[in-house]
Amino acid sequence: MNLKDQIESLGKEAVELIKKVESLDKLNSLRVEYLGKKGKLKTILKTLGKLSPEERKEIGQLANRIKEQIEDLIKEKEVQLKEKALEEELKKHKIDITLPSAWIEAGSSHPIISTLVEISQIFISMGFSVAEGPEVEKEEYNFDMLNIPKDHPARDMQDTFFLNNGDLLRTHTSPVQIRTMLTRKPPIAVIAPGRVYRKDADPTHSPMFHQIEGLLVDTDVTFTDLKGILKIFLESVFGKNVGIRFRPSYFPFTEPSAEVDISCTVCGGEGCRVCKGTGWLEILGCGMVDPNVFEAVSIDPEKYTGFAFGLGIERIAMLKYRINDIRLLFENDMRFNHQFKGIR
Amino acid sequence: MRVPYSWIKEFLDIDIPAEDVAQRLNETGIETVVEKFGKKVENSVVVKITSVKKHPERDKLLICEATDGKRKYQVVTAAKNVFEGAKVILAKVGARIKDLVIKPVKFGSVLSEGMFLSLEELGISEKAEGIFILPDDVKEGEDPNRLLGLGEEDIFEIEITPNRGDALSVRGLSREIGAVFGIKRKEKLPVVSIAQEEIPQIELLTEKAYRYRGVIIKGVTVKPSPFDIQLKLIKSGQNPINNIVDITNYILLQEGQPLHAFDLKKIEGGIKIRNAKKGEKIITLDGEERSLRPEDIVISDNSKVLAIAGIIGGENSKVDENTTDILLEAAVFDNISVRKTSKRLALSTESSYRFERGVDIENLPNAQDKAIELITKLADGEAFGEKDIYPDPYEPREIKLREKTTKRVLGFSISKEKAKQILERLEIPTQIVEDGTVSKIPAFRSMDLEREIDLVEEVGRLEGLNKAKETFPKIPVESFRKSEEFQFELRTRDFFKDSGFDEVVTYTFVDEEIYNILGIPVPPIRIKNYLLKTQSIMRDNLAVSLIKTLIHNLRFQNRDIKIFEISSVFFEEHEEIRTGMLATGKAVKGFNYTKGNRSFSTQISWDFLKLKGVIESYLKTLGFFDIQLRPSEKSYLNPYESAELFIEGQNVGYIGRIHPKKADILEIPKDVYISELKLRYVLRKLSDTAVEKEGYLFNLFKNRPLPVFKELPKFPSVKRDIAFEVDESVQVDKLLKAIKESSEHVGRVELFDVYYIDENRKSVAVSVDFRAEDRSLSDEEVNSIVKDMIESLKDKFKGLKLRT
Repeated sequence: MNLKDQIESLGKEAVELIKKVESLDKLNSLRVEYLGKKGKLKTILKTLGKLSPEERKEIGQLANRIKEQIEDLIKEKEVQLKEKALEEELKKHKIDITLPSAWIEAGSSHPIISTLVEISQIFISMGFSVAEGPEVEKEEYNFDMLNIPKDHPARDMQDTFFLNNGDLLRTHTSPVQIRTMLTRKPPIAVIAPGRVYRKDADPTHSPMFHQIEGLLVDTDVTFTDLKGILKIFLESVFGKNVGIRFRPSYFPFTEPSAEVDISCTVCGGEGCRVCKGTGWLEILGCGMVDPNVFEAVSIDPEKYTGFAFGLGIERIAMLKYRINDIRLLFENDMRFNHQFKGIR
Repeated sequence: MRVPYSWIKEFLDIDIPAEDVAQRLNETGIETVVEKFGKKVENSVVVKITSVKKHPERDKLLICEATDGKRKYQVVTAAKNVFEGAKVILAKVGARIKDLVIKPVKFGSVLSEGMFLSLEELGISEKAEGIFILPDDVKEGEDPNRLLGLGEEDIFEIEITPNRGDALSVRGLSREIGAVFGIKRKEKLPVVSIAQEEIPQIELLTEKAYRYRGVIIKGVTVKPSPFDIQLKLIKSGQNPINNIVDITNYILLQEGQPLHAFDLKKIEGGIKIRNAKKGEKIITLDGEERSLRPEDIVISDNSKVLAIAGIIGGENSKVDENTTDILLEAAVFDNISVRKTSKRLALSTESSYRFERGVDIENLPNAQDKAIELITKLADGEAFGEKDIYPDPYEPREIKLREKTTKRVLGFSISKEKAKQILERLEIPTQIVEDGTVSKIPAFRSMDLEREIDLVEEVGRLEGLNKAKETFPKIPVESFRKSEEFQFELRTRDFFKDSGFDEVVTYTFVDEEIYNILGIPVPPIRIKNYLLKTQSIMRDNLAVSLIKTLIHNLRFQNRDIKIFEISSVFFEEHEEIRTGMLATGKAVKGFNYTKGNRSFSTQISWDFLKLKGVIESYLKTLGFFDIQLRPSEKSYLNPYESAELFIEGQNVGYIGRIHPKKADILEIPKDVYISELKLRYVLRKLSDTAVEKEGYLFNLFKNRPLPVFKELPKFPSVKRDIAFEVDESVQVDKLLKAIKESSEHVGRVELFDVYYIDENRKSVAVSVDFRAEDRSLSDEEVNSIVKDMIESLKDKFKGLKLRT
């Protein structure tokens, strides 16, 4: 066999072996065996000196080509084997991806606060700002200045908790109207979300509950403006198709006053147990600020008019989530609370 | 208030279905529901009881013989009020009462062929004692359904708002319905003749009675009322008593004018309307002895109190079956005075209810005469004389309603012509003037219609608030800043929710007991008229409520709890908004996977440092990076695992583990961790200013400086790991701080190991970066900095040395 043939067959031999290799170690030893300093290719090339320069050049080029071919193949094989080794390593540490997660699970929202925040945000987006007042309130702010005189039957509308310090637990968020008007000049556009208290406890009444009060005072606020604002609000909460009904009513601090009903969210107005067959649900009270209230806070009723409204959060939350007993909202049994994950 | 539609029809020629009437009343401001009177009972008949005898075997049962005029029935009953001659309603075999079908039943040896019915079984009242005894003028054999209008007659169930005392009667409600539908009210005026033989002696000694008219009626026979009177009372939800009492109640319902009949023979001397004397007492008609005060108004004779004015009569002068002569009182008393006395005595009657809301002083004689007419007719009485004291007759006030006011308030116009029409339908005389109308307010609306705005409401509600088209106001642009507090709370809420805490809402009133258990003073603010003693203390921390919530959940085997609440706590002079957290059991429920050994565990439980981590993380989101901890002295916390939190020297809250002794008493786990943060101050006095109040995160948050950008380092840092040995008492936090402050070249300091060598010594290992702004530090320079640092630390920390 001449030198050329020897080199070519060496090349073929190496290619065959490399193709079959299955480990990086083996690949390395093949590299040494064929391409190393004492490797087979070098050994063959040692006889190169005996040849003529032309032949030497030709053989040299051939040897280089073969060498490169083997090197490329080894590189390629090396990549393959490393890939495979990694794959095996990963496979060895495979996990059951369906195991329960091991991170903190986000907590649940309370349906009352969630509803309160949702409603507040609607009014904030309309330009109202949030005002507040204390829950331990002066009788004066809770009643007298709201045109509910001491010995008036209107006081019976709200069963009051009285405190040992002579104050009371506010029965509604309306005293925030008074506090706001005493400290700010019109125009005023505020809402006042908060806890209120009445001496009442049964499946639909809790001695502590939440309200949102709204107040808009400016030079030309009208009852139809009130209707407009409440329409936007009710449609945002209950959907575009909700029926809305204004019924004249009486609140000492507004005149004219109205109660607002929406079409029953359960039966859609057909009449059911929730709406007691009427097709309507009482949802909030509202009206035009009574001039006596304006006078109590030194705002000129000939110059300004205003509207106010108040609504109970629990009732809306209960309708929204079909909760049938108000007491569940305050027990904080996690079997209840955890049902309200994923609400805002 | 229950009002039969048929009674309304005595005042109005109206043929509109009851449902439509109710709907229009609802739309114009009177909440109304229509109900049917009672329930129809098929196979029932009016019978007369012909004999009553005891059951031979059963003590509590009676055997009655009864007849409907055609046949006889034997009925066994447990009712005690049956008697021979009584007319009652019999449910015969086959009748259906609720879910029960009447069949012949044997009680012992005696067969019963039906059942006598009470008002309850007839669906008329919720609860009734005894069988319903019909008046004598009803004939046996009649069909009770037809007779009573069972299941047929429409009854309005009406809720009158406190301003509408004028509608608290059949007559008043008819006026309202008439106004709504534009139907003129009709009225049959009474025809009475009152002799001048015996003028009652009446002295008005108080300003709290505005009118008092007494009429002496003699020769009355007290007996049951005729059927139609009784039926009207029953339909209105009242129990018939006797003709005289029934007539006063009848007139009260029909006219809204309370009346009272005294037995004239029981009155000694003249009648005085006066203030009660100190220590005076009266036994009222409900059998209670009542102590009176000088501010109470009473009706008295020469020696005793006969009645509490406008509220209730006395036993000592009541009409009974032997009464022959009466003094019939019709009066109007001061609404506030009646209300005060009624409230104090916790005694509300049909009479006091109406006086509180205003009684039509001008209709008084008319109403009383109607009663006299009935008494003359039905009780054979004769009016002997009257006295009417009315010192200050009603003068109608004039109110002007400007067209422009209506428009300004309602947003839509109602012309003066239209306003006049509406007001006159309401029986308010009204004249048109240049810019509106002027009305003369009749007495029946004098309590309610005082100002122009009151008339705006009247015309508005009758014109229809519902149909007015919506408009949209321009809302004044207020700075968003004003909702900052709200947004701050939302941010807090989102943080704790996202950190895995469940939001709770607890009552702000709590039990005294938990304070005693926790060994902390019971807060000062209490509810005087609490519903439950366990809900009577206004809490001054959130921990008590969170612990209660935990206890509640432990009852349902829920051992892993992490909850938070943002709510109020109460102090003598102010309120605070806090956020409170409670965590116990597992912090993470899922699996923990360690790559090396492929092991899985669920043991990630809450501990002090984890809750502290949550709190610190929250504070960092608000921009608070420098938080100091000092040992807490709260009696309910484990003193070695608790801390008060300080920012800029202000106490902003605490964090800690429940004291094991308290945990034992409360029967809760010992690994309960609690934290509270003071978010905000809530003003109680308007003169107060929240901004000045210290220790609230919101104030600190608002005033915190904004971060100021610093150039990124240009030269690389040199990292050294250093291990110290220190006394156990050395606080790591302080050591880290001291390292950081030891040289301007110290950059990041990271703690990577702490362990206790023995009881008194611990090892603290840190990794420190050293750098200079203007060059790379050489090894020699760093060595020298470290050396200086160690020297300075040795001075500050007990027993500090370098570990080798």
